Amino acid sequence: MITLYDYELSGNCYKLRLLMSILGIDHKTVPVDFYPGREHKSEWFLKLNPLGQLPVIDDDGLVLRDAQAILVYLASKYDPSGTWYPRENPALLGEISQWLAFADGITGTASAARLHDALFYDFDIDAARAGAHRLFRILDEHLWFVEQEGRQWICSAPQPTIADIACFPYIMLSEEGGISRQDYPAIRRWCDRVKRIKGFIVMSGVFPAGPARAAA
Amino acid sequence: MLEAARSQWHPIAAAHDLPFRHVFHGQLLGREFAVWRADDGYINIWENRCLHRGVRLSIGINDGRELKCQYHGWRYSNRTAGCTYIPAHPADAPARTITNRTFPAVERYGLVWSSEEPLGEVPDVAGLAEGKLLALRGIPVNAPADKVVEKLKAYRFQPTGAIDGNGAEIAVEAAQDFAVALRSRAGAAETVGVFFVQPVDSNRSVIRGVLDQDAEGAARIAILRHHNERLSKLRDEVERDVANAPAPAPIEPIYERVSAELAEMPELTAHGRKAALRVAVARKWRTADGIAGFELRPVKGILPTFQPGAHIDVHMPNGEIRQYSITNGPGETGSFTIGVKLEPDSKGGSKCMHETVREGDVLAISEPRNNFPLRRDAIKTIFVAGGIGITPLLAMAQALKNQELTHELHYFAQGEQHLAFADRLAELGDALKPHLGLSPDATGAELRRVLAEYRNGMHLYICGPGPMLEAARRIAAEQGWPDSAVHFEYFKNTNKIDDSSSFEVALARSCVTLQVPAGKTILQVMRESGIDVPSSCEQGACGTCVATVIEGEPDHQDVYLNDAERKAGTKIMTCVSRAKSARLVLDI
Amino acid sequence: MTKCTDSVVLNLWHPVGAIAETVPGAVQQTVLLEERLSFSVGADGEPVVWRSRPDLRRADQIAAADRLPAKSVYGYVWTSLGSPPADLFPIPEYAEPDRRRLNAATFGVNVSAPRAIENFLDMGHFPYVHTDILGAEPHTEVKEYDVEISVDRDEILATRCRFFQPMASTASEGGADVDYVYRVPHPYCSVLYKSSPVDAARRDVIAIFLQPVDQEHVRAHMLLCVLDENSEDKVIKRFQQTIFGQDKPILENQVPKRLPLDPRAETPIRADKSAIAYRRWLSQKGVTYGVIPAAA
Repeated sequence: MITLYDYELSGNCYKLRLLMSILGIDHKTVPVDFYPGREHKSEWFLKLNPLGQLPVIDDDGLVLRDAQAILVYLASKYDPSGTWYPRENPALLGEISQWLAFADGITGTASAARLHDALFYDFDIDAARAGAHRLFRILDEHLWFVEQEGRQWICSAPQPTIADIACFPYIMLSEEGGISRQDYPAIRRWCDRVKRIKGFIVMSGVFPAGPARAAA
Repeated sequence: MLEAARSQWHPIAAAHDLPFRHVFHGQLLGREFAVWRADDGYINIWENRCLHRGVRLSIGINDGRELKCQYHGWRYSNRTAGCTYIPAHPADAPARTITNRTFPAVERYGLVWSSEEPLGEVPDVAGLAEGKLLALRGIPVNAPADKVVEKLKAYRFQPTGAIDGNGAEIAVEAAQDFAVALRSRAGAAETVGVFFVQPVDSNRSVIRGVLDQDAEGAARIAILRHHNERLSKLRDEVERDVANAPAPAPIEPIYERVSAELAEMPELTAHGRKAALRVAVARKWRTADGIAGFELRPVKGILPTFQPGAHIDVHMPNGEIRQYSITNGPGETGSFTIGVKLEPDSKGGSKCMHETVREGDVLAISEPRNNFPLRRDAIKTIFVAGGIGITPLLAMAQALKNQELTHELHYFAQGEQHLAFADRLAELGDALKPHLGLSPDATGAELRRVLAEYRNGMHLYICGPGPMLEAARRIAAEQGWPDSAVHFEYFKNTNKIDDSSSFEVALARSCVTLQVPAGKTILQVMRESGIDVPSSCEQGACGTCVATVIEGEPDHQDVYLNDAERKAGTKIMTCVSRAKSARLVLDI
Repeated sequence: MTKCTDSVVLNLWHPVGAIAETVPGAVQQTVLLEERLSFSVGADGEPVVWRSRPDLRRADQIAAADRLPAKSVYGYVWTSLGSPPADLFPIPEYAEPDRRRLNAATFGVNVSAPRAIENFLDMGHFPYVHTDILGAEPHTEVKEYDVEISVDRDEILATRCRFFQPMASTASEGGADVDYVYRVPHPYCSVLYKSSPVDAARRDVIAIFLQPVDQEHVRAHMLLCVLDENSEDKVIKRFQQTIFGQDKPILENQVPKRLPLDPRAETPIRADKSAIAYRRWLSQKGVTYGVIPAAA
């Protein structure tokens, strides 16, 4: 069984909880006192991940770190439909990797701003917010054209992929870093769509969507 | 300029920004909006602030009919923005006047327009004909609107027919404070683009462009990309220009205060039997054997908020006044639908509605009153309807269905052809349990089955003819349903009213003492003394004229109060009930 | 924003940091009422707090005259920019030896302190914000409860509060009403007593101490003082952080951020009795910082 080393308020940990819920992957959780205890810098944790970062999973002895890497692993191994990470489709894999890197950019800006405001990390808050807005503008534009072209998700597949999961949490939590999403209406609509994926779960700071309109 | 802008219309969203079941976060001149399209297509533009505790409604949930606040689950109705339910007090009907501030919404040119205090209509824009326009992606700009407008005057783009070319000729067709119209020409190709600038706040704007011609497929996307790219570049330039100037302070919106009585959370007040609303009969149809359906639309403005269980007084052309329950589902606020059964012994009410009132007629109706409020905190709700008693329960069942709360609607009728409002019933799916053609005995047996297995947290709502209602209440009591879980509404009071007593009534808050002689009701005597008391059916069925008894023993003759309430002796229906003691003190 | 001129607030004790998270002798920086402060806790547990100055880097450099009033109470360093009372409000349960006492976390929140207090006092949001933890639909009713403003203790007390909680205890399946008592003994602090799942006769104590950074930003310090012999600290903290993390987006989406004291600014219902009492109490005290005072 998978063990997730987890901190409730971490968007990166939530990515994995979310995908595991959607895919119905049974797992157990080991809470890590990221804040205020800094347990991710403790000796026992550094043995698991010398980078001292969450999340980490242990799947029957296979220890993996990095949220995006773990999404790739989980979707590759546990998604029988093969749509979340379509291993047979190189173009899509390229797109997904591109947006996984983008998600890292969101972590480096929007999540950093949140850590600054909520947990008092000593970051350059103005730079973090400006960086997040720059990325959100790009994503909003992308998603607006996605809609205009009759699609719904970040990558050009008819179903959501792990790129959607990777980008979602720190966008939803951006207001906690003082980053409003008001100027990104296409992102806001996409957030509703992600929330309506079957198996969606929330984390603290993320509210569920109401039901979609039944097809007429 | 921004002051004058308040009375102008501005685009605040693109039509495509408002898919169903979404809440758009808008802003105009510093004031934030929660904007949502109901399932019936109506666009709601509301102050982005729940009246209860100020939480933004843009983080709430659009369920297609109502907007639910994320904080305490308060529900606000489509169109009226009136609060229909406060979950913290499930037994109470919210004061009808808890109504969010709304702003006008007009969909035009692919954009949604609004204004704080508009003068006149949305302006006609020369060159933009409805129907074949192309709305571009809105481009938010962190700069004041006037700076953006200036820049737009020099905006260059290719006409639609020559999108891949270069060097089109641009002419400024018109320029105003918040819009620039440009004509782009290249050879035979020609496109007019109108670029509206929405003043979001003192230092924020959105460019909302509309082209005078649409396109399809890849060509359409190419045009959209062409403008998106160029407008984004223009945005970057404006933002660079203003980056070094000090940003003007954000506009501080002024929030309207709630009314003084809401600040005190009083009892619901209404006065006398007033018919404040004028409605036209938009549709009259036979919805079942002997039952006419009426769809009542406002003659002007919009109808007030209603809650499931609410009724209206209908003032008929012949002077009669009758009460009819609103059958609408939540958020259906464009019209009220009522059902009227033709009573064989009609004294002129139902007969008049059936025979005299026609489509197009204007009727006077009262504001909706809810003396039959629906709790929505039950683990399961059972509705028992007999005949035309379906009407309030139908509204209730639709509300629970919308919230996915467990319920069953048992509908007792003589036969299939007696089931009213088939279209609404069909939407209830499996929750609808018709019971057709049963004798009184068989009805009793069926009720015993339906009402078996009471569990704590269940609630029962009954409406129907007197004998059936009595039977259902009796059976519920026998099967262990406590009074507090059984809610009912009679059509009428069939008790023989004994008005032979005479007694004294002291009105504590009004500091008057009145004599009620035989043959007159407390309500009449109070009215004669100039004391305004709300009433509706005036026969002890609807509950509108209820008063609190401070002292004395009431002689209950109504059918509104349940047995526990009667025994408690703290409430009285002033239209029929009297006093057993020589004196009553009422909290009026 | 101008710095605080509200003498009521200036004369209060304010928390600035959890002692458990300090290293003896190390200096921490924080902001209180728009003033930059430094503080340090010595090996003896005694805190020293001063207005930050580039030339003053260690507690032992601070002359007595430059020291702000300082206290170590309930596991936190408290200070004041005015003349505070001798003692902080009492929480007698804190001294009970069998309790676990910990700082669940200190979180920065973009809201005024009084808005955060009102949220702490509020039960009606449990099913909507703390779904399936502190409440669950359809059990949404806030039953009648009692509120008093205690004159001799100068605090608000809400008693007989009950709310339906799903899985109220590990012992029983299904939900049940849970009892709460709320105290507001300080304009920016509140203490909650909640039925203990392990000892029916006693109550867990959870307190929120808000450090006003400015009128619209706080550092929320959460004290847990609970009866639980089994759970690891981090499990207890995780629960409280989950709850607070759920409230955070609500608090940060309240408009206006400062608490309006005009009774007609918002629409109270009976369930808000304690909030109404709190707003009146702030008005009576003449608090102006973090609120929008009612027009006279």
